[in-house]
Amino acid sequence: MARIVLNTILSLLLAAAFVLIFWVLISHHYRWEALAPYRGNLVAGWLTTLGISLAAMALSVLIGALLTAGQLSGSLIPAGLSRAFVEIIRGTPLLTQILIGYYLVANAIGWDDRIGVGIVILSCFSGAYLSEIFRAGIESIPASQWLSAKAIGLDGGQTYRLVIIPQALRRVLPPAAGQFANLIKDSSLLFVISVHEFTMQAREANANSYATFEAYLPLVLGYFLLTFPISLWSRALERRFAYEH
Amino acid sequence: MSIKTESLTKHYGATKAVDGVTLDCDDNVRVLALIGPSGGGKSTLLRLLGGLEIPTAGQVWLDGEKLPLSEVALQAVRRQHGFLFQSFNLFPHLSARENVVLPLVTAHRWERPRALARAEELSGRFGLLTHLDKKPGQLSGGQQQRFALVRALAHEPRLLLLDEPTSALDPEMKAEVLELVSELCRSGQRIVLTTHEMGFARESADQVVFLTEGRVVESGSPEHLFTQASTTQVRDLLAKVMRW
Repeated sequence: MARIVLNTILSLLLAAAFVLIFWVLISHHYRWEALAPYRGNLVAGWLTTLGISLAAMALSVLIGALLTAGQLSGSLIPAGLSRAFVEIIRGTPLLTQILIGYYLVANAIGWDDRIGVGIVILSCFSGAYLSEIFRAGIESIPASQWLSAKAIGLDGGQTYRLVIIPQALRRVLPPAAGQFANLIKDSSLLFVISVHEFTMQAREANANSYATFEAYLPLVLGYFLLTFPISLWSRALERRFAYEH
Repeated sequence: MSIKTESLTKHYGATKAVDGVTLDCDDNVRVLALIGPSGGGKSTLLRLLGGLEIPTAGQVWLDGEKLPLSEVALQAVRRQHGFLFQSFNLFPHLSARENVVLPLVTAHRWERPRALARAEELSGRFGLLTHLDKKPGQLSGGQQQRFALVRALAHEPRLLLLDEPTSALDPEMKAEVLELVSELCRSGQRIVLTTHEMGFARESADQVVFLTEGRVVESGSPEHLFTQASTTQVRDLLAKVMRW
């Protein structure tokens, strides 16, 4: 009984909060016409963010997998290097990684493609997080599974491919989807090397039109349109790989 | 089956799981039971005999052949055998059918149709035909162990190694699995098992080895060990467990 009352109160509070936010948003006096000249830029920025995100997601999975393989390899040098890479990347701000990566590293090797460099830096950043997610997933598979695989005569590669990874995948999906959503939003930091992505376009539209909310509100919808499908996709995959029932 | 070991030793850090075991089973022994208190080294000895672990020192001879000491060569040895552990043998993400087919196709390089036919044949014999498409999570503990037994037997193993196959089961399921194992014993399958089921060991084994603290205390026919063991340690423990 107490639980029903508590649930009802919580639901009412949540609904009230939604209504309040919605009401505040629609009752504001907007000047959408001031934003009109920048509509095309915003769409172009959104498409840039979409492209950067897709490329960086693919590359970050590859980097994450390599870092996980390195850490689990058991040989000293790959394990140490992977560990060091993960610790440094996770322990320092993305903003400085972008600045150093573009103005120092990419500059030194003569690579001037801002979007390309941006994708690589984002992928390294996200890959470091993904590798820890992958490693946790693999290490969560109980020892009895390794023993069973060994007992039926599978070699190391077969054990990973047929026994461990299929089981780990299911456990890795929810945190990996969260990491992808972070990656998409983190791509807005590429403004520091003047990549004209979504957020950068909104900042410019705001600077020119002085219509702050009108410039930034599309970001809410735009980023949600990018992250929500990942959430749906991850849940669909979770159901596909479910094996408990 | 002839199994011989000489000063077989396995240490995990400071723990001496198996500590200088010398055994000699001749061809008349089809079923070898390892008994003794928990932590006495039964499981480790079984794994050493089956090539799942590399000994710290000592040797194993199986039918006169010395067991290799390299991981790669041992894999080939393991593929000849069939193993069954206490529980969680099956892969939870695969159906029972695929659990049986997987080692046949990957480790034994059978054609898939042959592996599928074999899975059906054995499952039929073990009364599991209607459960082939279920995932392990949908099976009872006894059904899981029986499917694990099907998987261990499908390639006609040289040795069947059972490590406390019924310890995690309730009495009814225990009976289901023991019934099958004793049938296998009668059919002439060569078996090495560790068990706490003294009645089963007494009835089915040709030779019983009593281990404690990694050492063999006594070894002999079940008749001898269960009725006239020469060490008080064995007599005491057996008297205690047989009473119930």
